[in-house]
Amino acid sequence: MAAPPEPGEPEERKLLGFLDVENTPCARHSILYGSLGSVVAGFGHFLFTSRIRRSCDVGVGGFILVTLGCWFHCRYNYAKQRIQERIAREEIKKKILYEGTHLDPERKHNGSSSN
Amino acid sequence: MAHATQVGLQDATSPIMEELITFHDHALMIIFLICFLVLYALFLTLTTKLTNTNISDAQEMETVWTILPAIILVLIALPSLRILYMTDEVNDPSLTIKSIGHQWYWTYEYTDYGGLIFNSYMLPPLFLEPGDLRLLDVDNRVVLPIEAPIRMMITSQDVLHSWAVPTLGLKTDAIPGRLNQTTFTATRPGVYYGQCSEICGANHSFMPIVLELIPLKIFEMGPVFTL
Repeated sequence: MAAPPEPGEPEERKLLGFLDVENTPCARHSILYGSLGSVVAGFGHFLFTSRIRRSCDVGVGGFILVTLGCWFHCRYNYAKQRIQERIAREEIKKKILYEGTHLDPERKHNGSSSN
Repeated sequence: MAHATQVGLQDATSPIMEELITFHDHALMIIFLICFLVLYALFLTLTTKLTNTNISDAQEMETVWTILPAIILVLIALPSLRILYMTDEVNDPSLTIKSIGHQWYWTYEYTDYGGLIFNSYMLPPLFLEPGDLRLLDVDNRVVLPIEAPIRMMITSQDVLHSWAVPTLGLKTDAIPGRLNQTTFTATRPGVYYGQCSEICGANHSFMPIVLELIPLKIFEMGPVFTL
């Protein structure tokens, strides 16, 4: 988000100082789940194998895979939602503009369903 | 406009800019994860004993780190190309404005419905009113309607300039002897700032662009249609 923080608002916090996870849709959610996945995978691997180094590798791999997976899943749903919002906005605008005229979307829809 | 400590993109005022911001977030997440992986690999390299035998003849690893980057590049390229072609779509513009770069000001021509032509100079600091933005405000803004596709024809009368408005996701070079076209549809009213983006001489930093986007009903009452 481009606006600077207002005096009364809490200061923006960025991950590692520059990653704006608060205002980027799906970022915070993906990184949190990725961190959880990393801990689960790494710790689980360690419990079964007692190999520290390999467990760290599994943890890092788990973080990357889980973060990417959550990210793509969330962004896909976000994109679908944006499209639906845009369609709804356009339909509301058309309804307001054309209500009562021959271009009224509801009249067209009722006319086609009665035919 | 950008605030003083801003490093990210400005909020979007057009659908194309919304798509660009989405793509930027997508690419940045992939870049972040790759950087994380590389840093981890670097850390491992620095902390591995020199007698470790797992650092040569790793055929499987070599296959993975050839195919995986190719997949990642495809995941980045596909949305990028989609947006690239989206920016080239021309959706029957309602209005065409010509923008001509000079050293060091812009001339705007509204010739669709009349003959409105004016220059847009940066306001010198001595002429600023309280609340005006230093080095950004101009004497004559480009007034345009929102929610209408607008075509900008951009050229230059002398040297290279570039007409850029970050919040609309626009940057088009003004080249003498050539007419470049860009189209956009603004989604919300307001005053939006841009600056010349191609080095053009001593006052390159002092020829800003200011767009004043207003509802169509109010735009129709203005000098574009009444002059």
